[in-house]
Formats: sequence, C-alpha cells, structure tokens
Amino acid sequence: MRSRRALVKWLVILGVLHAIIVCAGFFAPYDPIEQDRKNPYLPPMQLHLLDAGGHFHLRPFAYGLKLREETFDQYEQDTGQTIPLKFFQSGAVYRLLGFFHSRIHLFGADGARVCLLGTDAYGRDQLSRLLYGGRISLLAGILGAGCSLFIGLCVGAAAGYFGGWRDAALMRAAELFLALPWLYLLFALRAFLPLSVSPLKAFFLIVAVIGVVGWARPARLVRGVVLSAKERDFVRAARGFGAPDGYLLRRHILPETSSVLLTQAAILTPQYVLAEMTLSFLGLGVPEPVPSWGNLLSNLQQYSVLVSYWWMYLPALAMVPFFVGYLGLASSLQEWLEPYKIERRSPGSLA
Amino acid sequence: MKTEASIGGQACRPILKVERLEKRYTRQSLSGTREELVALRGIEFSILPGTTLAVVGESGSGKSTLALCLACLEQPTSGRIWFEGRDISQLAESGRREIRPQIQLVFQDPANSLNPRWDVLEILSEPFVLQKRTTIKGMKQRAVSLLERVGLSSGIVARLPQELSGGQRQRLAIARALALEPKLLILDEALSALDCSVQAQIANLLMDLQDSLGMTYLFVTHDLAMAAHLADEIAVMNCGRIVERGPAEEVLRVPKHESTRELLAAVPRIPRTPNSVTG
Amino acid sequence: MRYLLGRAAHALFLVVGVSILTFLFTTLAPGNYFDEMRMNPQIAPETVAALRAQYQIDRPLPVRYASWLNSVVHGQMGYSFAYNSPVAPILLMRARNTLLLAITATLLAWGIALPLGIWSAERLGRLPDRLVSWATAALLVIPDLALALGFLVIAVRTGWFPVGGMSSLDFDSLTLSGKFRDLALHMVLPVAALVLSALPLLIRHVRAAVAEVLDAPFLLAARGHGIPRRVLVYRYALRAAANPLISLFGFSIGTLLSGSLLVEVVMSWPGLGPLLLESILARDLYVVIGGVLLSTLFLVTGNFIADILLYWADPRIRRESTAA
Repeated sequence: MRSRRALVKWLVILGVLHAIIVCAGFFAPYDPIEQDRKNPYLPPMQLHLLDAGGHFHLRPFAYGLKLREETFDQYEQDTGQTIPLKFFQSGAVYRLLGFFHSRIHLFGADGARVCLLGTDAYGRDQLSRLLYGGRISLLAGILGAGCSLFIGLCVGAAAGYFGGWRDAALMRAAELFLALPWLYLLFALRAFLPLSVSPLKAFFLIVAVIGVVGWARPARLVRGVVLSAKERDFVRAARGFGAPDGYLLRRHILPETSSVLLTQAAILTPQYVLAEMTLSFLGLGVPEPVPSWGNLLSNLQQYSVLVSYWWMYLPALAMVPFFVGYLGLASSLQEWLEPYKIERRSPGSLA
Repeated sequence: MKTEASIGGQACRPILKVERLEKRYTRQSLSGTREELVALRGIEFSILPGTTLAVVGESGSGKSTLALCLACLEQPTSGRIWFEGRDISQLAESGRREIRPQIQLVFQDPANSLNPRWDVLEILSEPFVLQKRTTIKGMKQRAVSLLERVGLSSGIVARLPQELSGGQRQRLAIARALALEPKLLILDEALSALDCSVQAQIANLLMDLQDSLGMTYLFVTHDLAMAAHLADEIAVMNCGRIVERGPAEEVLRVPKHESTRELLAAVPRIPRTPNSVTG
Repeated sequence: MRYLLGRAAHALFLVVGVSILTFLFTTLAPGNYFDEMRMNPQIAPETVAALRAQYQIDRPLPVRYASWLNSVVHGQMGYSFAYNSPVAPILLMRARNTLLLAITATLLAWGIALPLGIWSAERLGRLPDRLVSWATAALLVIPDLALALGFLVIAVRTGWFPVGGMSSLDFDSLTLSGKFRDLALHMVLPVAALVLSALPLLIRHVRAAVAEVLDAPFLLAARGHGIPRRVLVYRYALRAAANPLISLFGFSIGTLLSGSLLVEVVMSWPGLGPLLLESILARDLYVVIGGVLLSTLFLVTGNFIADILLYWADPRIRRESTAA
C-alpha cells in the first residue's frame, strides 16, 4: 500500500530527527552552558579538507580564528592554526537518555574549540545550544499538543455524547476561545501568570498554557465524530444489550475518534513548538541559561547583533526539518486513514 | 398461517400490546422557532406470541421510529407499551436497560450495525459480556453455537465484518440478536439490503428459528411481497398512523385503505403465460 | 435577514464573553501595577492608596467589571497606569496601525492566493500545479518567527528597506508623496512577512475547495453547454466554492491578526502587539483588557463580514432563514 509506505517513511525521518535531539549530549560537542567569555560572537568555523598549501587531509579540520586587524569583533581564519576534528572524542560529561553518564561526543577537537555554528555573547557554542534547545522546544510542543488533545477529547466527547444544554454550553465556551486570535490569548494567559520562575516551573507553565489555549479546535472535531458515531447502529445494538454510557463511550465511540486525534497530533505539534519558540523569544518562556530554540533567538532583537552577527539567526531554521517531517506525517496520515476523499480539508488543518 | 382465532387456548395473551403510542420530535432551528415532527400518532396493535406481525409502509411513515420505541431505545412521548403484561413505556433508564435484552432489534444495514473494528468473536460475545454472563473460556463456545444456529461456519470467528459477504453479515447480526434469547425479535428492514436469493435464504432461516425457538417477530418493511411471505398479520402505516390492520391474507386480498392499495400496486407481477415457457 | 441578526447577536455575545474572560484572567495575575509602586520608596504610601482608590482596585470584581462596562458605553475604556492617560486614545492609534498592516496583508494575500489557487486547481496534478504545491510546502515549513527575523536580517544586510519602525526620523519634514513613500517602504517588510506566512495555507485551501467544485457533475454539464472557461470558473465554480472559501476568509483573519502580533513586535511596528506585550509585563490592566478586546472585536467583525458575504453568496442560507 503506497500510503502505508509513505507513512512509514515519514515516521522514520521524524524518528531519526528526534533521536538526534534526544541524544543531544552525544551529538553536541560541548556543554550548552559552558561559557567562554574570551571568545564571544565567534563566527561559524568552516571545515576544510584541503589546506592553504593545497594538501589534502583525510581528517576534516578547521582553521583557528584570529581577530582581523583594527577591529574588535571581526574574525578571520588563521591559516597558521589548524584544528583537526576528532571523532568520538571524550569531552564534557552528560547523561545519555537521562540515565547513563557518558563523556563520548560525536566529534570534538584537542586544544581549541570547534564551533560550527559560532558562539554567542558569552562564548557558548551555538551548535550545542541548538541541539539541547531542541529538547525543550520539541518536548514543550509534544506535551502541549497532548494536553490540548486530551482536554479537547474530554470536552468534545462530553458535548457530543450528552448533547442538550451541556453541548450548547461547551460549544459556546469553545467559540469564546476561538474568538480570540490565539497568540493574543497565549500572551495574555502566560503573562498573567508569575513571570520569573525556575526553568522547570516555567517549562510546565508554558506547556499548560499552550495546551489550554488550543483545546477548542480538537474539541469541535471530536464532537463531530462523536455525534455521528452515536447514531451508528452498532451503538444502538450495544444499548440494546444493556450497555451503560461509559461502556459505549469507551468501547465503541472513542475508538472512532482515533484518526482525528492522530492527525491533529501531527498538525498541532509543530504549531505548538512554534508557540514555545515565540514565547521564549519574547522572554515569556524558558529563561536563561536553559537553551530553547526561542531564547537562542532573543538577542536578535538588538540591532547590533542583527548587523554584525548574522549566524545568530541560524537557530530559527532549526525547526525547518521538523516542520517538513511533521507536515509529511500529517499528510500521509490523512491519506492512510481516509484515502477516499480527494481533498478534504478544513481550515485549521495543515497539508 | 396462524391468526388470533386459530391459536386456540394456548397463548391467548398477546406478548406485546401497544396503546395510543405517540412520538414527537422537537427541533429548535437557528432562528429560534420550534419545529415539531410527529413520527407516530395513535398507534395501536398487539402481537400474539409465536406469530409474526409485519408493519408495512413507505419511507417516512414512521416504521423505524416504532421499532426503536418498541425496543426501548427511544422514549415514547405518550401512550403505553405492554410487554408480557408489564408496562414498559414509561420506565426509567435502569428499568429499560433490564427489559432491552428481551426485545432485540436487527438493523437494516449490517455494515452499520456491526462495529467494523471488531472481529466476529468480539461481536458475538458483546451481549454476554454486557450481561455479565460469561467467562473468557465460555465465550468462544457460545459464539460457535450461535454461529451454527444461523448456519455460519465456526471458522469465521476471527474475521472482520468487511471480510464477510452481505448475507453472512446479516446472519451474524441475527446470531448476535439471538444471543440473549429474546422473546421478541424486531427486524427493521433487515432483509432490504440483501440480494434476492440471499433474502430468501435468510427469510427461511428466520422461519425455521421461529418454529424451533417459538420466537415472536415484528417485521418492519416497505416490501409488501416480503410481508406476504412471512407474516401472520399485517399492519399498514402511513404518516405515522396505522391505517389498516388484519390477518395477512385478508389485507392482501381485500385492501381497504388507499395506501395499502398503492403498496399492492407497486409489487411487480410477472404475468403467467404458459405458452411462452414451452414455445 | 434574521440570519444576519442572529449572527450579529452571536458576535456581540462573543465580544462580551471575551471581555468577562479577560477580566477574570486579571485575577490570576500575582501582583499588579500598584505593588511595584509601593516598593518604590520615592512614592508616598498615601499617594499609592489614593491612586488605588481612584482606580477602584480594591472593589470586588463584578463591581469593577460593571463600572468598566459603564465607561465603555460612554466611550471610555479605563485608564492606563503606565501611560498616565485614558486608554482609548492610545489603543485607537495603535489599532489603526495594526489594521493598516492586517488589511493590506489580507488583501494582498487573498489577491495572490485566489487566482493562484484557482489556476492550480484547474491544472490539478500536472506540472504547474505540482510546482505550486512544492513552493507552498517550502513556505509552509518556515516558521513565522524565522520569516520575520529573516526579513529583518535582509533589511540590515542590504539596506534596501528600513529596519523596523513605521516612519523615518525625518518623517514630518517630508512632502505628502514623500510621506506615502516612506510609509510604504516601512510597510514592505512587515506586510511581506505576514503575507508569506499566511499564503501557503490559503493557496492550499483555495486549491482544494476549487478542485472539489471543478470535479462536480454540474460543472461538466455547463461545459457541455459551451460556456467559456473564464465564465465557468469565475461565475459558476467560484460561486459553488463560496461556502468553504468564505469560512476560510474568516479563519484567515484570525491567523493574520495573530501573525501581526509577532511581526509587529519583531519589526518594531507600533501596533497593538508591542503595546500589549509591554502592558502585560507592566500589569497595566485596562490597556491589556482593551487591547485583547479590540483584537477580538476585529476578529469577530471580520467573521461577521464573512457571514454577510456568505448570506449574499449562498442562496441556500437566504432560503433557510426566510423559511424559518
């Protein structure tokens, strides 16, 4: 089945991308919090195989950086200093998958630091911060989506199954939430909660806020499914055998919502990762020094950074492969679950 | 064909009696006006145990609503339903839940009435599980005996409904309906979605079951020919009312109401021309 | 007609509901503007107390809501603690700037998405359509934040466009046409960021809606009658696709308003976005409520316009409401 193969392909791609982020400790050459105040705002180091003299090296290397004359923050490559890349280098301690201690990183160098994406104002390696930051942002997105879907499922099922005034009340509430542009709601909610909290608390706060903002659309979709499932004859037949409400919901009606929930999960997760990035970018999200894709970008709000240090923009593009993956996943999920509709889309769905 | 008179002393008391049954649906449209749909008006009839009553009418005449009300799946707006002498029309939900297993409904479209995600074993075990009458081991045995009763092989136990043919699915639905040994079986257009030959098979199956189990049937159908074949009594419905009722032969031979005449006229008759067969 | 009145009542309900919700949110806020003031040793406690009494901070919530509602009806929207002036003028000026951005972006985005989507739908599955699909997919995967920041970086590196803001320093000394040009230059990047972030979804949905209609038998019959292509598409197909397209329009207003919040902050465009951000951080209560409410009002109005368009375009809705 072609659609099944496409689905598997996207799952694999996403799996690999997420695995890299999960094992950020291994793939990142340095500790994300480790500062190097003597080397702020280093530009990205380029890797070479051919040196200035024309010799080919099997091992990729980078040139050291030295300050350009008569500037205090412009660097250029110092062809006199070659820094060969070493693989499976022993470096800073990290915890693989949160359990094992390990020191082995994918690559590193002896002596000088190789910063493939440059450094920030405190000399912290941007590549490492990017990889670690992905954990926070992706996790926030995934958990937030889970939260929204859970609330949406409960509300939508209750509204659709019980009908009557409960349905009307819940759907009015959903409309209220949908009447606000979501970013305004997100801001308002987040900013009305305590602002300076510990990174852990901030993280859960963000997840809760993002989850609460977005429950309305999934709730509507679930309600639609429940309304039509309720009228199916096999539900009537089960009632004829004496089934109580809880049984009907659990065994017959809610399984029908699985396809909606799966597709919404694939669609909402990237949007929520973006929401976390936006919040952190504006200082309302995960605070320093914990990196997240959003707060990696926050110093771009300063004009000087924009002008001189262009590589600080690069984390903004970190999300792109994930977006591609989630987009492909959502698309192939919709194909696989409902292949008979040519182009059935409603606003609020990607693909 | 059995009629009220010919049964004699044995079971004179009707198993089901309906008195002035009414069902209204109210709908509030967006602009605030209330719309009322009267699905059933002043329905009255009774069924003797072991017999078959066919309720015939066109689409929209209210037949399916009647089936749902009798199976205790909908609450009538007014009127009474007596089942085995008990008034079941105004019971609370818990009371209705008790009665439901004794009056089972077989639906028209098995594609809709069988959960497509469940296999045959789960579908057949569901009634027992809900009534808490089984163990895990006992389930398969019961399922197999039910399958045999309706003429299906026990090998299909692990299959999904979409892997069965239309006739097999409907047999499965009937088997499931029989699981709790109901006294009254309501068949809501149960044969309409099947091919002609399959219809005949299932009809015969139903007749056999009635003979062996002493079941009472209420047949809801738009097909007068089918009703003629299966029913002891026929009631004709139009716009929510019963417009004519009586023993099957009488209704068919001497239709009194216009709707009955229209329904009869709609039955295609193949003229008998003995010469064309041979020559 | 009754349909429209019903929708108007619904819109009103939404705005009122949101105002109540927002007021409720404010009770969540730990600390308010006056706590900050109290910590400031230069301000006498009596002054703080007097100000609090003036703004009725200590009254119970329903009372505050009622008096706020009362002032709204009279054209006032409360008082800003941070700006030390009534809220309404501040909000309205910022709202004007936001609307300038949002409306321009909406018109431009639909102006591109509609023809492109139709063109793509007509050539469904063939190369031009596939190219468009690829392009929209490529745009779709770039986060809005990255787009806005990216444009900012481009502005800085190339110097073609001003880097943020709405007007240059010498704005007041320019001629009228000079002012227009200055405004337009400042608008290019924010509008471009907004349009590009909204465009991919719009194109996809337009394409989907039109493709579904183009497939319909009635259109095939019309073609059989020899009706020319342009009439076919624009009079017949578009009319039939009006329903999903118009609800898409309502939805796009919401996304554009949200998007404008971010773009304004990133590009320092003096609209509701930056105002909202600062006043939330400063706990400047009435500005926040006013700002959130205003944005909701825009969204609800936009949807109401969509409802009107639907009423005008879809005879079924007209028939249903007159029959009722």
